Amino acid sequence: MKNASLRRHLLGAIVLAATSAVLLSGCTGTAEVPIASRAPSTLKGQVSFWHFFSGREAGVIQSTVDDFMKANPGVKVDVHPGQDDEKLQKAISAGNTVDLGMSYSTDIVGSFCTSGAFRDLTPFIKRDNVDLTNLTPIVKSYTEFKGVRCAMPVLTDDYALYYNTDLLTAAGIDSPPKTLTELEDDALKLTTYNPDGSIKTLGFNPLMGFYENAAAHYGPSAGAKWLNADGSSAIGSDSGWPELITWQTNFVKKIGYAKLQKFSAGLGQEFEADNAFQKGKIAMNLDGEYRTAFLADQAPGLKYATAPFPTADSHTDLYGAGYITGNIAGISKGSQNPELAWALLKYLTTDTGALVKMANGLKNVPSTADALKSPKLEISSQYKTFVDVASNPHSATTPPSPIGAGYQQTFEQFWDKYQKSGGDLAAGLKSVDKQINDSLALVNGP
Amino acid sequence: MTAVGTRSALRSTRPRHFGRVLNWIGQHVVLSGLAVLFLAPVVFVFLTSMMTSNQTLTATIWPDPWTWDNYVRAFTQVPLVRWFANSATYAVLATAFMLASSIPAAYVLARIRFRGANILFTAIIIAMLLPPQVTAVPIYVMWSKLGMTGTLLPLILPNLLGDAFSIFLLRQFFLTIPSEYADAARIDGNGEWGVLARVIIPMAKPGIAATAIFMFFNSWNDYYGPLLYTSENEQWWPVAIGLASFRSSHGGDWGITMAITMLVMVPVVIIFFFAQRTFVEGIALTGVKG
Amino acid sequence: MLAPAVLGLALFFVYPLLASIYYSFTRYNLVSDPQWIGLRNYQYLFADDPNVWQAAGNTLWFVAVMVPVKLVFAFAIAGLLTRAKTATGLWRTLYYLPALVPPVASVVTFVFLFNPGTGPVNLILKAFGIDGPLWFNDPALAKPSLLLLGIWVTGDVMIIFLAGLLDVPRDLYEASGLDGANGVQKLWYITLPTIVPVLLFSLVTGIIAALQFFTEASVASSVASGKVSIGEGAGAGFGYPENSLLTYTQWLYIRGFSNYQLGYASALAVLLFVVAAVFLTLLLRRFSAFTPDEATR
Repeated sequence: MKNASLRRHLLGAIVLAATSAVLLSGCTGTAEVPIASRAPSTLKGQVSFWHFFSGREAGVIQSTVDDFMKANPGVKVDVHPGQDDEKLQKAISAGNTVDLGMSYSTDIVGSFCTSGAFRDLTPFIKRDNVDLTNLTPIVKSYTEFKGVRCAMPVLTDDYALYYNTDLLTAAGIDSPPKTLTELEDDALKLTTYNPDGSIKTLGFNPLMGFYENAAAHYGPSAGAKWLNADGSSAIGSDSGWPELITWQTNFVKKIGYAKLQKFSAGLGQEFEADNAFQKGKIAMNLDGEYRTAFLADQAPGLKYATAPFPTADSHTDLYGAGYITGNIAGISKGSQNPELAWALLKYLTTDTGALVKMANGLKNVPSTADALKSPKLEISSQYKTFVDVASNPHSATTPPSPIGAGYQQTFEQFWDKYQKSGGDLAAGLKSVDKQINDSLALVNGP
Repeated sequence: MTAVGTRSALRSTRPRHFGRVLNWIGQHVVLSGLAVLFLAPVVFVFLTSMMTSNQTLTATIWPDPWTWDNYVRAFTQVPLVRWFANSATYAVLATAFMLASSIPAAYVLARIRFRGANILFTAIIIAMLLPPQVTAVPIYVMWSKLGMTGTLLPLILPNLLGDAFSIFLLRQFFLTIPSEYADAARIDGNGEWGVLARVIIPMAKPGIAATAIFMFFNSWNDYYGPLLYTSENEQWWPVAIGLASFRSSHGGDWGITMAITMLVMVPVVIIFFFAQRTFVEGIALTGVKG
Repeated sequence: MLAPAVLGLALFFVYPLLASIYYSFTRYNLVSDPQWIGLRNYQYLFADDPNVWQAAGNTLWFVAVMVPVKLVFAFAIAGLLTRAKTATGLWRTLYYLPALVPPVASVVTFVFLFNPGTGPVNLILKAFGIDGPLWFNDPALAKPSLLLLGIWVTGDVMIIFLAGLLDVPRDLYEASGLDGANGVQKLWYITLPTIVPVLLFSLVTGIIAALQFFTEASVASSVASGKVSIGEGAGAGFGYPENSLLTYTQWLYIRGFSNYQLGYASALAVLLFVVAAVFLTLLLRRFSAFTPDEATR
């Protein structure tokens, strides 16, 4: 190999690399296909549907999708279960593998509507005259961001208190707690210890981060606010949060942080049969309506009831409210068959039969007024609590933001630390505000 | 260096001999004690893999009754076979591609003078030692624009264009082959490819084997790469991702988790016993040549 | 013969390195085009990022504690192994085997062993009347727990040292023995000088590996938290407990591939490059194997 020829080779290779790099960065995804002026009368083709459910719950979704395919024989839906937000974002950014994507929470709405990862659905909604007043106002609010409706709600998740009636009766408690102080008193009464001092069964686990113990789920108990109208953090200036944090940390102190940690680390997985509430190791628990389905499936013998989550002592007027969120779905930017994706999305989010079928299967709460009123909706006494929470005017959600769940994570990270080490609460909350506003500026800014 | 101490310090041999025996016993006690500690984790993993799921949640160490049930469940409830197949595809193709592209490159770097050789070699060293996260974003963007994320291809294909660490390692091996052999082959009328195929490769077999084994294990054990590229597509998950996300995605109890852990360890250990020499020599060579 | 490798270097090394620098001045989420925002990412990195310094501190802990401890331990075992006269192969294999266990499997193993509720370690401690700590679930102990794992899998370094120690000429020891040198003196004057290059090499490559510490820490976090990531994704599980295991490269992953702030992740990458470059320069200057001179003998 001679010098000159080798140099030419080297040069050639580098030029090739450079041009291919330019080419690669030059093409940005696939162009959007414009929508037809009228909905097609028959649907044909293949459409991919990504959702996060797995196991038994994925079966419910599949069976609903099967109904859709039966009604539209020309359509094949390619279902990808078990896809979390991170994976969904990866797949959407990579191009056209996703037509319809469904997320477990509203966290991605802000960023997906802003970036266009989910398309604006308004043209479809206008064309097909979809009645959005059928959606409950709170549900409507969390599926759009800054006037862009890029997602539709698929059922809601609502949170309330579960309690083991056998354990409560045995401890002489005949009605569920209505305030946080009552919750704490009852919980301490229900807690039992082993001879060596460790916890045997727990009345209520106050540790932040345990199962569904998240700031978002506690917030409505004190009417606590997350964001101001301009999108900046309201956490540090809200009076509800300090009240909740103070109650929670004092509760933790009464039992002992280390003791609770050790007990929690030995508990089963939240979504498995060995869930601590299902095993009777925890008498009262904050959880979503879907737990009723898990209980029926995995712990049919357990005697339990549900009630709205207790309110902060200074907010007893809020009793009956709770945290609402829900699954949301949207059409990906790179979808090659948006008409099919829209048809499926419309079916899953507005068809009363489909919503009721999924609600009965998943035990989630329907997201439209029609489905909520449907006589086919199976309402057990335990599930009824959640239907009521869903329509309570004081129920609240976590608002969409361009930083997604970032503001919740920042706050929870602080709370997590505070429950263990304490410190200056007001100053800590101020620094939470700053962190959230800083990261908003990084994403938003000019 | 021999000028340490003084001759006058010569001691009688008897207590020294006695001391040696004590020393020997001491050393072997330490060696065996540590060996027990080193083996214990695997033993506990095995014991737990033989328990029923109720037992794993209780304070027991010894299974009662013993059951292979977790292993049966590992194969029936978990796509274990597919995970292994994916890991094998990744490791085998990456290794084969690496060999095809890196052997010629290493040969040129070891044996042929050309301008720019020093710069190229330095670039390879830097590429080899630089944390992969430094260049992760643009490379990810590149594969994403090509629509290849969600597969193992972004981890396999680059090996067609050489792997820095392998080139470096192979070059070190090639350097140990006296250049007279290659010269003789050239006089016989062989081109550079001929020299490489007829002389260098046969003589560097142990080195090539060691490099291949490194590549194989690095790909087999890789977690970061597959996490970045395949997490959204379970069809392409290698066993490393499957095991890591097992407790969160399938939520299994410790028994079945430990059964899978055992199954993940076994093939590696088997390969080790077949290729023990190559292995240990290879490892020694990477470090000692400092 | 060289063309593929040169193309490879250009595509997967030179271009991405330059592109990382470019992206670090942009806001980029892969869905829309990169948008130039000047030094904003760096400003956020150095002034506002709430976790980056904790993450860097954690990585530094692994560099400053884990690397030396592993080396000392590997050296001690290698030293012991040179003394073993019987069943040498068996001993070597025994101590080397854990290094073979795939990293993910070894982490799952250790999180299980040290699981506070029902893990064998705490059960054994209990038998001795000791109330075992929370290990991987305790922010103060999570890193030391990973250190124990690091020691367990230190076999590859141990093999390198063993090879180096066996290279020390035997007659040197015998001669010095005749001269009356004691064990410490032998170690200091004979063993160490011969093996110092090997030690240094392992130290610097160990540091570079520790700078990118990712797999063990992230898997330990997600397995130990026992949390089911229903819909958030892998990044949400990193750092548990209380970010004590959040390393710099994990933070980069979270910002880049969970939050899709690729521009900001690139700024983090550039900083990592600068730090790694310092160690790289050190390595390149010090070790002959990495200098190209031998090539053209």
